[in-house]
Amino acid sequence: MSHSVAAAAAQQGGARTLGQVERHDTLAARNARLADGDQLTVRVRRFDEGRGPELEHFQVPYRKWMRVLDALNWIAENSATDLAYRWFCGSKMCGTCAVRMNGREVLACWEAVEPDMTVEPLRNLPVIRDLVVDRGPFERKVASLEPWIERTSPYPGFPEPLSHRQMKHSSQALDCIGCMACYSACPVIGLGALTDFAGPAPLVQLAQTALDPRNNSEKVARALAATGIFHCVSCYKCEEVCPAHIPIVSGAIEPLKARAAVLVPAMARHSQILRRIVAARGRVDPGALVLGVQGLSALRNFPRMWRMLMRGKINPLRTLLGLRTAAARPARRLLAGRGPTS
Amino acid sequence: MNSVEVLQTDVAIVGGGAAGTYAALNLHRANVGTIIICKGLVGKSGASIFAGNLVLGGRLLGNTEENARNTAEFLIKYHNQFLIDQNWARRCGEWIENVYYPELEEAGLYFRRDEEGNVVVSSGKIRSIAANVQGNSGVPFMDLRRKQVLRAGIPCLEECAVTALLRRPDGSIGGLFALNYVTGQAVAIRARAVILATGYSDRLHARSTGSREMSGDGLAVAWRAGASLVNLEMQWWHTNDVAHPPTWQRMQVYPNPMLGSPKSARMINAQGKEFFNQQQDDPLAYGPYTVQLKALAREVHAGRARYDGGYFAGFDHCSAGEVDAYTTYGKSFRQLGLPFPETLVETAVTAHYRQGGIDVDPNSMRSTVPGLYVAGGLAGHSNGLIGLATYDGMVAADTVRDELGRLEPGDFPWSEIENERSRLAALRVACSPDGIVPAKMKEKLRALMWQKVGLEKDAAGLRSALADIETFRRDLLPRMGLKRTLPTLNYEWLDAIDAINMIDVCELIVHASLAREESRGPFMRRDFPQTDNATWLAANVMHRTGNGLRFERRPYELPFFKPDFVRKDNLEVAW
Repeated sequence: MSHSVAAAAAQQGGARTLGQVERHDTLAARNARLADGDQLTVRVRRFDEGRGPELEHFQVPYRKWMRVLDALNWIAENSATDLAYRWFCGSKMCGTCAVRMNGREVLACWEAVEPDMTVEPLRNLPVIRDLVVDRGPFERKVASLEPWIERTSPYPGFPEPLSHRQMKHSSQALDCIGCMACYSACPVIGLGALTDFAGPAPLVQLAQTALDPRNNSEKVARALAATGIFHCVSCYKCEEVCPAHIPIVSGAIEPLKARAAVLVPAMARHSQILRRIVAARGRVDPGALVLGVQGLSALRNFPRMWRMLMRGKINPLRTLLGLRTAAARPARRLLAGRGPTS
Repeated sequence: MNSVEVLQTDVAIVGGGAAGTYAALNLHRANVGTIIICKGLVGKSGASIFAGNLVLGGRLLGNTEENARNTAEFLIKYHNQFLIDQNWARRCGEWIENVYYPELEEAGLYFRRDEEGNVVVSSGKIRSIAANVQGNSGVPFMDLRRKQVLRAGIPCLEECAVTALLRRPDGSIGGLFALNYVTGQAVAIRARAVILATGYSDRLHARSTGSREMSGDGLAVAWRAGASLVNLEMQWWHTNDVAHPPTWQRMQVYPNPMLGSPKSARMINAQGKEFFNQQQDDPLAYGPYTVQLKALAREVHAGRARYDGGYFAGFDHCSAGEVDAYTTYGKSFRQLGLPFPETLVETAVTAHYRQGGIDVDPNSMRSTVPGLYVAGGLAGHSNGLIGLATYDGMVAADTVRDELGRLEPGDFPWSEIENERSRLAALRVACSPDGIVPAKMKEKLRALMWQKVGLEKDAAGLRSALADIETFRRDLLPRMGLKRTLPTLNYEWLDAIDAINMIDVCELIVHASLAREESRGPFMRRDFPQTDNATWLAANVMHRTGNGLRFERRPYELPFFKPDFVRKDNLEVAW
């Protein structure tokens, strides 16, 4: 079985779908490397009033196509009956069973077990007990973004004029099950109160209605202003762990940033200045960028300016003369007509 | 858990699915105070998120007169085997056509369009549409409800299990008792009325589509409060849920017509021969679950499949693009790394909805107990679809709104609160060496139900099940204990509370199954293989009496559709 599955997966698609075939191949391998009755070594991070956190070890017998949740269920039925972990639907719909398995955020009901695995609660949220986190901070953030439609004109009746082309980004975001895997994986959320970044999952929740053409743009602007969205560093960690395969950066955060640049231009100041510099000079000029974003007050941090100068990060002469490279013309051409300009 | 927090509202709504949230939103609009108490998370737990697609009734989106009639016939025959109030079905259909879809779309639900802006509709004799994507419609649908409730500011107690209804001295319902199992805090809610909306599903069998929190609570608390129940034996089954891994027993290889394609999934027996293909074998059975089930029963009888596996389903006669265009149906295959669509997966039977439930007047959704109303699938008058459940949510809300003036808060039954508090506290005890943990109790009970109260049953097996349940009650329950006895986030404690509800409800189901001496649709008795329209075109109503229960047989009226035979072998009946 396992051999034929892997072989068939390898035959599927050519070079053009290389990534996809590789992924399927990996999934096929992951689902076929263990046989019924094989023993899994599972370590679960336990935490309770007056206990832990500590790792507890279990041996779990493998059953065909076993998921991480099946292993947790086996433990709770046979070994540690006091294990606390949250789940409801068991089939990738409710989005309540996300955990970290071997350091990676997974939906427990969806991910294949590994022969040797450590299961831990999500990061960036308070742990209540064992694998159960407090969803409160996430839910409150989502609620503060008022993730619903406010119409500016009366509803015309069912079915209203609307095309999938208009709803493309919104439709992708609607696959979000609020599992918070991305929220746990996000390094910017990991910085805590250092930024006001709302986080990937709340932004996807916002994208469902903010990228919907039926919504009132004033309300969308109000919501966007509270997201700190430009703190996103586009590291794609969120996309990597999303069990719903939502293109979180390219399909939600980037389109939301584009909306923000139009609706709340002040939020996009850094990006807009960078864009102007690249269009004018054909290159990034860090000196011009710092001056543009911080103004002359940047000069007050003299030690920092000096360090940047010594390391060749800034070149005041080039900045003042506004020298441009040969790339300026193609840069202007490439940037023209793409996204907002100001 | 020494203190009990006391809250007060006009109407307490138990359940955060399609029916409960819609009832709450309607009452809120009518300026009636409500609190939603949800054992899971509003709009995230429960069965409503499992809605794959949404059936079109009436003349919506180009439906012809014939399509409309087919939908009604499907609902009455294939979906309910005539055990339904046909006048209710007609009212509900009209409401779905005129109110339901516009309300959802106006609130922002995205009904899937094509690039040009046409709503994508399935082909076939009965047509359906999807919210965003077929196979996942319930998720954005219920997410919308969750956010509507949030926007309206309706208070929600989540991860809070309702353990008892509180009765006033006159027998009417004056509130409820609940346990917030995250904090361990007990809550008593004083209300003029309670609407139970805990859904169609339970997780009472070894294989069940019911989600973690489902343990028959709605039926158990209503029965203890004196409510009559109906048609509990009418259990619906999925024929084609994924056989492995265990948690995917809820993952269906949907047999319904696909959006954007004339094909749907097919089923193959152990010998590789197709035995069911909806579009060919039964185009009228839009949700062909019972027709499929009968086809499978014939395969099982011939030794070419088992109820717990050994047969297969999939889309190997379709192209991947055809399946992927508007559906999520490829997701389980792909997650297993199986080449799609050329691979089939092994499937097995799974207990799905219960057609029966609490006996209500479908005109008002009143139960037989004053002050107790039911919304959605927990009511025993129709089988499940998310639109029907939503309609019942509205009817219940309208009734309560109109009757609120007559429903006085009355005296709060403090003694009932204290009784319930100590009942729950007594369950939070350490497990002795010869004791049994609640998780094992549940597992044993589910195994028993699967073996003796499964798809095909007979009087001998059912009586043996009753004897086993009695043993559970007498020998096992007193020895039930927990590994950890702290009150906070103690799922074992919740399991103990659940186990008692499950034992009570399983026993009632077995009694109801013994009482219906015929086979009808998904209800199959080996000892009574015929569908008997002379005697059993009737509701099997169960009343609570001082020393047990008694049954009443209440015939259905047949104003629009009638069966065309008196008695016939159930496996030969189309529906």
